[in-house]
Amino acid sequence: MMAWVTWFSIAITLGAYALSRVVARRYPSPLTTPVFFGTVLTILILAPSGVRLADYELAKPAMIFLLGPATVSLAVPLYKSRRTLLANTLPAFVGLVVGSLATLSAAVTLAKLLGLPSVIRASISIKSVTAPIAVELAPIVHGSPTLTIAFVVATGMIGAMLGPWLMNAVGIHDPLARGLALGTISHGQGTAQAVIEGELQGAAAGIAMGLAAVFTSVVAPLLVPLFG
Amino acid sequence: MMKTLSVIVMQIVALVAISQAGYAVAAALQLPVPGNLVGMLFLLGLLATGLVRLTWIETSASLLTRHLAFFFIPLTVGLLGFVELFLDNGPAILAVLIVSAGIGIGVAGLSSQRLASRKGRKTE
Repeated sequence: MMAWVTWFSIAITLGAYALSRVVARRYPSPLTTPVFFGTVLTILILAPSGVRLADYELAKPAMIFLLGPATVSLAVPLYKSRRTLLANTLPAFVGLVVGSLATLSAAVTLAKLLGLPSVIRASISIKSVTAPIAVELAPIVHGSPTLTIAFVVATGMIGAMLGPWLMNAVGIHDPLARGLALGTISHGQGTAQAVIEGELQGAAAGIAMGLAAVFTSVVAPLLVPLFG
Repeated sequence: MMKTLSVIVMQIVALVAISQAGYAVAAALQLPVPGNLVGMLFLLGLLATGLVRLTWIETSASLLTRHLAFFFIPLTVGLLGFVELFLDNGPAILAVLIVSAGIGIGVAGLSSQRLASRKGRKTE
């Protein structure tokens, strides 16, 4: 039997999500993305209601029960864009592998130079992995799933906002390369941006998001400890 | 309406089963990768080999991926427990995120562009 506070937490979260979808459609901006806006809204309603974080956490398992099957479903877009991948195997694989390695090493090295604590360094190392996989990868690399999600969402916003400008500045004009870079670094939000640029960009970003997550999941547990 | 609902429920049950199989295999083989990732690769394999047809799972798969954002709200609300960590390290964290994203985008884009232009554009 679930306590009323659990039901209340679930209802507030669902309501905040539904409202944030409406707001995002009406006023599209990085600040109205459902994860960001929905979280702020949930906190703003929960805090004055006297619901403590520990009480809210009890509702978490019920709410994220479908995250597993939702992640499995990411195979569908990957399967649908298989022809784009087969036609561009080498540039796609090389781009996502070196891009993933570069962003992971840069993040961990810089975090260490700036003296950030180890739980932040571990959590930030996998910030380019799509959120549903990053949540599960976090404990494997000794990071915190909650911190990881925050870094993943922030990286999505940063890449989607600054990525197109940066690529213009350094002369990345090839549509496959542009989509690939956005998907590799900024996962879902980068893919949404790439879809706006064009069909090939969108397909390349979707492939890169899925395969970069696979690649980083395999190498991060080996690489992250090397940076100490 | 009832029919659509039952189709959605059955498809979700199938996706839950694939996901659980992914976790079970990852645990049994002690793979150092997330179980849901293994589940995703299972489904990709089932689709590629034709053992599962896209139409069997597509309605629910697209429903779940469309609302993926919902699942992260309960997780990010937990950030309330990390307020001090962010107050202490905010600028450094932001610097790491921006610089590493920029380097990653530049490296991924330039390397893939170099290789793509070498063999000429092939698209489909």
